[in-house]
Parts: sequence; structure tokens; C-alpha cells
Amino acid sequence: MDHALHLLALTVVLYLGFATLALSQVRNWRLVIAASPPSPVMKIVLRAIGIVLLMLAIPLALWLDGPSFGSLMWGTAISVAACAVTATLSWCPHWLRPLARAIRAANMSQIVWRLNE
Amino acid sequence: MKPTFRQSMQWLHTWAGVVLGAVLMAVFWSGTLLVFDREIDRWMAPMTRLPVIETSTPLDPMIRPFIATAVEVGASSITVALPYEREPTLRVSFRDVSGLARYNLDPGTGRILPDPETAAATDFLYRFHYSMHIRFANVGIWLVGLAGMALLALCVSGIAIHRKILADFFTFRPSKNQRRAILDLHNAAGVLGLPFNVVITLSGMIIFYAEYFPSAVRSLYPNAASYYSEIFDSHSRPKSHVPADAISVDTVRHAAQKIWNGDRIQYLVINHPGDAAASMRVVRATDNIVLLQGDTAFFDAATGALLYHRAKPEPVKRAQGFIAGLHFAQFQHWTLRWLYFVLGLSGCVMIATGYVYWVDKRRKRHEQQGLSGVRLVEGLAVGSTTGLIIATLAFFVANRLLPLGTTFLGYERAALEGWAFYFAWIVTFAHAWLRPRRAWIEQCWWIAAFAVAAVLLNGITTGDHLVRSLTHRHLWAIAGMDLLLLAGAMVAALAAGKLQRRAVAPPASSARGRPPSDGIE
Repeated sequence: MDHALHLLALTVVLYLGFATLALSQVRNWRLVIAASPPSPVMKIVLRAIGIVLLMLAIPLALWLDGPSFGSLMWGTAISVAACAVTATLSWCPHWLRPLARAIRAANMSQIVWRLNE
Repeated sequence: MKPTFRQSMQWLHTWAGVVLGAVLMAVFWSGTLLVFDREIDRWMAPMTRLPVIETSTPLDPMIRPFIATAVEVGASSITVALPYEREPTLRVSFRDVSGLARYNLDPGTGRILPDPETAAATDFLYRFHYSMHIRFANVGIWLVGLAGMALLALCVSGIAIHRKILADFFTFRPSKNQRRAILDLHNAAGVLGLPFNVVITLSGMIIFYAEYFPSAVRSLYPNAASYYSEIFDSHSRPKSHVPADAISVDTVRHAAQKIWNGDRIQYLVINHPGDAAASMRVVRATDNIVLLQGDTAFFDAATGALLYHRAKPEPVKRAQGFIAGLHFAQFQHWTLRWLYFVLGLSGCVMIATGYVYWVDKRRKRHEQQGLSGVRLVEGLAVGSTTGLIIATLAFFVANRLLPLGTTFLGYERAALEGWAFYFAWIVTFAHAWLRPRRAWIEQCWWIAAFAVAAVLLNGITTGDHLVRSLTHRHLWAIAGMDLLLLAGAMVAALAAGKLQRRAVAPPASSARGRPPSDGIE
């Protein structure tokens, strides 16, 4: 049971990482939300956040399941999480709308911040 | 004109896949099933479906008579495998004049269980996985090794020929035209499952390093025996020819557990039983670690004194043990084993969609030009995917239909189950080539029928139907297998229905649909 909860925690972090990476792509963004896609700077920021989340999942996996099982859990859960994001985009893209809205809000504040400068 | 890098990679990807796809599918499919090898064993050998006993139950009263027999027949060693959650029987084996004598015991009562008369998963499917049962000159092992190398080459070439690997990373468009959807699925299973596919294939080949690269072993060791003796940490001493009684197995077991912080003992071997120089080799279980090579300790069988124990194996051996362990997946980490199962299935999907894409892309052209390539490869694809699943199910059904003690043409029951597997497999290939238009649909129906039949037969012949197996903790392995069979039957029936509807009225999207404009062609 503990192991299943570990997997859940790990998959959530990896899923968010991949979802952020997916939303940095214009085509996926348009699938999810009818709003202007993230700016080029925001795209880079999103990709960086996505990769950081994927990498953060490594220490999390090692901490939860120890070095040997943890490394295998990360190596296998990463595929499952990526497939889950792909499936979400294929059948239920609206599930990612809250995430896209949050990103858009961040993007807006960035534009405002830039205008102020 | 000299082909470009992409063109040569495409050639490699296409032909390595078409030629070795069937072998790859067989290895991937059997490997996926073997994640649950002990559970399949329980399903196929109903007499071994026992509640798990407390590990502190004394074993001496049960083992003593066998040690006495082994001494009587002059066996050089006797092996005792201890029960645990996934394998709840006590297994005793030794060599006598007629060959290997093997006994399964109920560890709760000491009763000798009837011979299961099945090769089940840990023998039949296991050998099929690494050698396809071709024993002649180790051809099977080399064929599987070649397919493994091919899969690694397919992974690399597949990445090289993928035109939009980053843009299409999260892309699966089931509603687009059929060919596009198949290619998307192939790419998704291949790219997203890449870490698992590469690691599992490479680790599988590393397990057989002594077979594939024998020169290293030959140049360093005078003979194979000395090499294996070092690998398996063997410690031996010559027989003294002075008779002596062996000390209690339980005493040695507890002494070994003390060294290993109370960890479970997997099995123990008494060398030269009945001799004053007899020794007991005790092997620690590896349930809660990935590393496969369990620690070994040697005890004096007459006095119980510790003779030899290596506290920590060398780093190279540990690394090899880790690689082998991550491939064998014998650990008790159920979540990780389920992940293996799911990713193994995704590997099967990758291989199957690769075939289907090859056929779909060439069907029209081959029909116009009167070529037979598509027909040949489609038969191969059907036989190696749905056909292989049917063969596996026929193996299960034969196991439930053949009564214990059955012999036919001199073959025993365990062998007959194997014949059922191969006979069904050959029939599916013949069917695929004889009825190319209907093969996919009909074989999907066969899968559904065989899977349901297996579940029903298990309930009828053993009484462990789903209601019973779900409510008894020690039968959850059986419930799991039955539920997976039913889920498989449902998926197969849905697929058959969908293919049937498509065959009756070709969907507009597939008729009008453009061929893929991006991705690999």
C-alpha cells in the first residue's frame, strides 16, 4: 500500500512536469485553452520548470523507495506519466485547463511587468 | 545515389522490425507474463495454492525423512527451498538413480502434495522467454540475443528517423485517419517507453554475457566450473566418508538469519548429506532488494559452526547482480512489478503497431502490383501477436482440461501442455495466411473465447472461482490471474467488434484520410 502511495506521489510530480512541458508547445496549448499561447520567454520558462519537476522527482523517488527501488520507480513511472499526459491531451485536454490558466496568469503578469519596465 | 543517414536508418528500422518482430514479440510477451511467474504457477498447479505459514514453523520434522532417503540413495546433495508468500510450498529435491527427485510439501502439515505435472511459467514460459525452447547448439539463446540487439538498433534508428520527435512527443490522434493513429501509437509506445525498453533489453542480454561473450570467461578461468564457483560463492570440502548425522536445519536457518538481520532464507543445500564433512549452504532471500545474488553462508552440517561467509560481494558482482535483479523482478515490490507489466504490454503494443503500420502502408501498392509481401508479413503479424496470445491461452486451457497422469504418445502431461501451446500457435499462423481478410477479427474472438474458457475451467476444476478467490487472501494470485484474463477477453471482444464494423463499412475517415504528412514515412 505504501508503495502504491509512493507511486502516486511520484506520478503527480512527473505528470505536472510533463504537462508543463506539453503546454510549452503551441499545438498542445491550443488543444487545452482558447487563449493566446505563451510568449517565447514564457515557453523557455515553462520548459525549464517542466525539466526541473522531472529532475525533482529523482530525489523524491530515491527518498521514498531507497536508491535501488527508487531509481527503478523513477525510470518506469516517467514513462507512465508521459503516457498519461499524452492520453489527457488526446481525450480530455480540458483537464489541463486550470494549469494553462495559471500559466496564462503568470504570462500576463510578466507582460505587465515588462511594460512597466 | 548514396542513401542519406535517415534513409539508411529507415531501411534498418523497417527490415530489422519485419524480420525479427515475431521473435521480439514472443520475448516481450512472455517476459511481460513472467512478471507474475509464481502467480501463474499457482494458477496452473492448484495443489500448491496454500495459505502462507509463519516463518517460525519448525521444518526439521518435515525434512528429516527426506535427508534420510537422500543418504540412503547416496545423493551428493539435497536442496530445500523454503515457503514464502509467492511460493507457499516447501520444496525438497535431490538426485537419485532415476534422476532428480522433487517433492512439494504442505509446510503446515508436512503432507507430500501430488506432483503438479506442469511446467507452468517458471519453467515453460521462462525457457520460452530466453531460448524459445530451441536447445540445439543454443540456437534459441542466440536468436533471442540477436533479437535483443535488433531491438536496441530499432530504438536508436527509430529515434533517428522520427521527424518531429519533440513536436510530436505527446501526440496521439486516435480520431485522425487509421494509419496516422497507428503511427502515433507506435511512436508513443516507442518514445515514451524508451527507458524501459532499452534497460530491459540490455539487462536481459547482460544476464547472458557468459554465453554471448565467452572469451572473457575463457581467458580468465581454466574451466567453466571454476568460474561459476567464484560467481556463486561456492565453498566446498571433500567428503570424509565418516558417517554422521546432520544438525537441525532449523538451528542453521536461525543462525543464518541472525547474520542477516532476520531476513528470510530462500533455500539451503546440504552437501554430502550423512557425512561428517557435510556442509549446509544457506542463501538469503532477495525479496526486499533489487540485487538478485543473495548472500550465501556455509555452515558445518554436523556441528552448526559457520564455515564461510562473505560479508559483501565485490562491486562488479554487485553491479551484475543489480542488473540481473532489475530484469528478473523477483522482488516483493508489487507496485514496481505492476509497472513492469504495464510497460511490457506497451512494448508489445509498439511491436504490433510497427507490423500493422508496415502492412497498412504497403497494402494498396502490393495489391496493385500483385506482390505477396503484404500477405506474408500480415500473416506473420497476426500469428506473432493475436496468435501468440491464443497459444498462451491454449496452454492455460490445456492445463485445466488435461487430468493429472495423462500421457499421450509417450509424452507426459507437462509436455502435452507445451505441445498445446505450439500446436495452437501453428494453427493461428496457418489461419492468418489462409484467411487474411478475417484473421485479425476471428483471432480476437478466439482470444476472448479462450480467456473466458480458462476462467470458467479454473472455477469448475478447482472450485476457486472468483467469489472464493477474492475473499481468501492466499488465493489473490488466482483472482488476479482470472481478472486479468477477463479484462483481456473484454479488450479482445471490443477490438473484434470494432474491426468487424470497420470491415463491413470502411469508415469515411480512413477512405478519405490523407496519408501522414509528417513523421516517418
